[in-house]
Amino acid sequence: MSDQPMPSMLYQGLTKTYQIPIGHLDYTFIEKCTDVKHLEKILKILRSGEEGYYPDLTLFCEKRIECLAPGSRALRKDKPAATAADFTTEEWEEINGEIKSWMTEMQEDYKIQLPKTQILHERLDNLPPVRGSDSCVPIGQNQGSGKKQRKKKNIPRDYREWDKFDVEKECSKIDECDEENNSKSRLLTSSNVPQIERTIDLTGMSESEKFFIANREKEKGNEAFATGDYKEAVTYYDRSISVLPTAAAYNNKAQAEIKLKDWHSALQDCEKVLDMEPGNLKALMRHATANKHLQNYQAAIEDLTEVLYVEPENAVAKKNLLEMEQKLKDIKPVSKTHTKRQRILIQDIENSDGEEERERGSGDKKTGVLVQEEIATEKSEMGNVQKKFTSKGDGSRSDDKETQNQREHTGSGAKKGTSENRTPKHLPDQEAEVNGYLNNDKKKSGNSNVKEENLRSCETVSSSSGKSISTLLPPTAAKLKSEGNELFKNGQFGEAVLKYSEAIDNVINLGVQNPDDLSILYSNRAACYLKEGNCSDCIQDCNRALELQPFSLKPLLRRAMAYESMERYRQAYVDFKTVLQIDSGIQAANDSVNRITKTLIDQDGPSWREKLSPIPVVPVSAQQHRWDGGTFTSETKQKSVTDVSGDKQLQINSEKTEERFRILKTEGNELVKKGKYNEALIKYSECMKLNSQESTVYTNRALCHLKLCKYEEAKQDCNHVLQIEDTNIKAFYRRALAYKGLQNYQASVDDLRKVLCIDPNVAEAKKELEEITQFLNPNVTTSSQQKQRKKIKIHEVTESNKQESQVSTSEDAMINHIPSEGGAEKGVPLKRSEKLLISEPSTAYDFGQSINAVNARKDKAACADLLMIINPPKLPMLLSNKLDGDTFLIFIQALECYILGKNPGLVYQHLFYLSKAERFKVVLTLLSKNEKEQVRHLFELLSEKHNHQFSSEDLESLKRVYEL
Amino acid sequence: MSGGGLEKPQLIAHLQQALNYTAFQALWVPRSARFLCLGSLPRGTGIIQLYELQSGRLSLLRQIEKPKPIKCGTFGASSLQQRYLATGDFGGNLNIWNLEAPEIPVYSVKGHKEIINSIDGIGGLGIGEGAPEIVTGSRDGTVKVWDPRQKDTPVANMEPVQGESKRDCWTVVFGNAYNQEERVVCAGYDNGDIKLFDLKTMSLRWETNIKNGVCSVEFDRKDINMNKLVATSLEGKFHVFDMRTQHPTKGFASVSEKAHKSTMWQVRHLPQNRDVFMTSGGAGSLHLWKYEYPAQRSKKDSEGVEMGVAGSVNLLQNVTLSTQPISSLDWSPDKRGLCACTAFDQTVRVLIVTKLNKI
Repeated sequence: MSDQPMPSMLYQGLTKTYQIPIGHLDYTFIEKCTDVKHLEKILKILRSGEEGYYPDLTLFCEKRIECLAPGSRALRKDKPAATAADFTTEEWEEINGEIKSWMTEMQEDYKIQLPKTQILHERLDNLPPVRGSDSCVPIGQNQGSGKKQRKKKNIPRDYREWDKFDVEKECSKIDECDEENNSKSRLLTSSNVPQIERTIDLTGMSESEKFFIANREKEKGNEAFATGDYKEAVTYYDRSISVLPTAAAYNNKAQAEIKLKDWHSALQDCEKVLDMEPGNLKALMRHATANKHLQNYQAAIEDLTEVLYVEPENAVAKKNLLEMEQKLKDIKPVSKTHTKRQRILIQDIENSDGEEERERGSGDKKTGVLVQEEIATEKSEMGNVQKKFTSKGDGSRSDDKETQNQREHTGSGAKKGTSENRTPKHLPDQEAEVNGYLNNDKKKSGNSNVKEENLRSCETVSSSSGKSISTLLPPTAAKLKSEGNELFKNGQFGEAVLKYSEAIDNVINLGVQNPDDLSILYSNRAACYLKEGNCSDCIQDCNRALELQPFSLKPLLRRAMAYESMERYRQAYVDFKTVLQIDSGIQAANDSVNRITKTLIDQDGPSWREKLSPIPVVPVSAQQHRWDGGTFTSETKQKSVTDVSGDKQLQINSEKTEERFRILKTEGNELVKKGKYNEALIKYSECMKLNSQESTVYTNRALCHLKLCKYEEAKQDCNHVLQIEDTNIKAFYRRALAYKGLQNYQASVDDLRKVLCIDPNVAEAKKELEEITQFLNPNVTTSSQQKQRKKIKIHEVTESNKQESQVSTSEDAMINHIPSEGGAEKGVPLKRSEKLLISEPSTAYDFGQSINAVNARKDKAACADLLMIINPPKLPMLLSNKLDGDTFLIFIQALECYILGKNPGLVYQHLFYLSKAERFKVVLTLLSKNEKEQVRHLFELLSEKHNHQFSSEDLESLKRVYEL
Repeated sequence: MSGGGLEKPQLIAHLQQALNYTAFQALWVPRSARFLCLGSLPRGTGIIQLYELQSGRLSLLRQIEKPKPIKCGTFGASSLQQRYLATGDFGGNLNIWNLEAPEIPVYSVKGHKEIINSIDGIGGLGIGEGAPEIVTGSRDGTVKVWDPRQKDTPVANMEPVQGESKRDCWTVVFGNAYNQEERVVCAGYDNGDIKLFDLKTMSLRWETNIKNGVCSVEFDRKDINMNKLVATSLEGKFHVFDMRTQHPTKGFASVSEKAHKSTMWQVRHLPQNRDVFMTSGGAGSLHLWKYEYPAQRSKKDSEGVEMGVAGSVNLLQNVTLSTQPISSLDWSPDKRGLCACTAFDQTVRVLIVTKLNKI
């Protein structure tokens, strides 16, 4: 490559510019050369093409330079803008998608024109006055620093100002001014102590503006933090929070405060974050750091364990945890009981807060003084602006005070929060809750309906216990809560969630600090979410509840269930295990643990345990021994028994037989729930030997007989009961079923009528009555055995619910409870649930909720109400793909019983659009004969009612659609 | 070469639109996906065009023609709710327009004898404490501060001493507005002078000369205690001043960097990160920079007086979009990485800068 002769012209060209011998344009030279400047020159020559075009060598040279000095300017090349080709498709799509979504967001935003006039005026009033009239600053060209001409004129020119005139102050100000003049550094001093307002004036700001400004202030804080101006960062975070409190701003502020070693404030801010976002890892870590520096090692350890619980691999947390534990060990001999120590520490925090507050206060005062001083200098500079500036200064001062007050306020609020959080758990309440759970949990079984019932009753228990123990709940919240409970029981989980949320907001807003109640509210809401299948929210609420009430049973169990249904088996396993630590007797938890263990072994192999996060150790105080629970339940059950059987039984039985009777009966009930009717039968029979007057045993045994299709025996049991109590509604009902089984339809109808006579609201009886009336109809020749069995099955469920209601301590809250004595009461408790609130559903979800509620009670009237308010064409949309046999049937029945008489046109419309619904065909094919008969019956009735809204041809074609 | 560069921010030319006039400035309308182009029609009249980003294209929503070519504009003194545009034109007029009803200006004043080269606003948009004010810099050598609430006369006027030759003021900005009282104006002149006026004390706080005409100055943020100032110059160099520490004699510490081979027309800081800024060059190039702070931002000199220490600047990315100068650039205040720029090839471009959140 290098030419020996070296053409003189080329050589000259080089020497002219860089004096580089041509021999340096060589791979070997470039490789060895370490002088970047020299290499850059070589690169320039190569690029210029003076010596010819050597792309490889150029590239090699570039690489060499890059290797030696990556930031070299010579490497900068003109590049075209990036295009799609420079990105992977995913990246490109992400970029494009982001822009697109932003554009649409902005377009939406633009449409919402912000309200103008009034707000703007308000804000204009708050603006500082127009700057003093046309003031000129003469400038020369680069003639050193400006010439400031100060007129010293500090004497007030207004009478009022004379009052404020403080001679000494003015004197000292003059001194200061002189000093400043001497040092010529007024500007510098002022820039060293920037006075940034800690709050932002919010008058006339819309929400979106607030959001924008809060975000901007936070960003300013972040930037200041990045440069290491932690004080400034804290100020800007404060400003952001003053506009819109966000967890992120508090979190960042805490970090800045940690940097400033302001541990107490950091601790408070972390707590605020954790209030807003429980389980925020960063906040937890910072909380731990602050605690560590406050020598609050126990608390720090708690934080760190929580972090490790979520993120077991967090190395920093692990390291800190070890350190903490070491420190704690060193200290331990000094202080023995850490609950006490914690208490003292809390007080410590409070005290120091006070101090801090005061410090800040004085700081603010200083600010005021400083402002004054500055005003003074202002005065000296420009006499004519004096007045305005003074007033401005005053204004800002009062502002300062106000903000200070505010801060004090929030500060104390937060303090309360912390101390409340730390208070030892409310034991009685918790116990009651746990017991309540135990009560219900006994009844837990695989049957989902029973389970649901179970949850309901446990809800009731928690609410009742909540009421009885804590009257701390504000009345509105308490009301909302009970409304929520009511809705929950009715199966309207979505609305219940709203009520609970309102209650929670209410409690939080009022600032009433009762973690127990709040915990229950969260726990209840979690139950709703669980029901709705919204597992993630359920988990979140459980977390909150647990934060307020560590190791309380129900939230734990619910979280466990939620985790399980989300297939997060490891967390579910840990939670179930924790539950079992609190109470080892919970069957559901035991079952689930076994089930999950299997799944985990399948999933992770034999070493599955290693992948689990550590199971928290439950403090003894929170553990509920089975034994305790047992006595408690027995007590309540006893009570319930006495409730049911009334006075009669108490007089006869000795305590011992009563005990035995009770055991036998509960065993019987258990067996019924498990579907072991034969065994249950034996138990009940034994019961009867002990006490033949107990009607519930007979009704229960009648149920068993019914299940076993021993209708004759069932009838006899019922007769027996009716001899003792001639108004026992259940006995009538079961006897009706027994007659039905015996195909003695007339007797069955009579009994059902009696049931309805005692309580006209028993929907099952009505339904049954209708069915049996149809059997009596000569048109129907035979009724298939299969159908009957199916019907009975439906009743089984409700029956067992009733069964439970007898055992449950919260009888009066049950929907289907029928008082076993005093038929004259005519189902007082039923009245509460009589009216199902039906509002027009706008979405398929609302509609589904209403339908669930309707289905749960077989409430045709409510269903009819619902159908009346729905615009028929919307029906397919509302039903979406949720049409099932039960819904279909209740529609048909509601149409027939309630709407047909009033508005046959609507019936036709509904039938027409029902046939358009999704899954209609499927449902239709799955209908049993008898159910089809009902549909046919409806059509027959409809054809009798002539209406201008539909012709007989229309009806015929529709009939064909319904495959009749 | 560019293979390994994907971790760096990339500049994507997202959309572009050819114009039939010379555009001097592109300006985003706050809280929207719209921007304005201000310029001069061939027949010597002024024009304001409102564009909106729509999927895959720019659509012209509105076009307003005014008698004088419009050199510059700002929303800085208007509230987020009003979004009034303040413009400076070739005739030295300062006008404030309600874009919903642009026929008559909301505020109008013949502020300068000659063209207004630069305008800046503060106190609106939630940026900057204190009263809304507009500053204009003109070829007549004066820098004037206006309060929209006061008609006809400026609230502050910075003009050359009698008898001295007037210098063309090319650029003005507000800064230091971190509380109700503090506020400064920085102005750059054709002879390389940079002057910092303190509006609180109504005095010249600092001045320097960077030898070449100052095309553009900007504070990294207007609404904080002055932090950094970037000034670009005619011969393709820019200076970053650390504005936190002012030495009584040495002034502010600075670092300079030569990037473009030609004039550096404008510098604009990323609204979401004050340490990232873009410079636009005479040869149609854009350079994206990041300022790195030194370990210690100030030190004591031999006499024990605090003096600032400058950091360094790193080039993050550079692209060449055109052969003609890029006259203006504006970052979208709402969307990180989105910016619009106008060039003398009579084109307005919308660019996307990626990975700005990872810097």
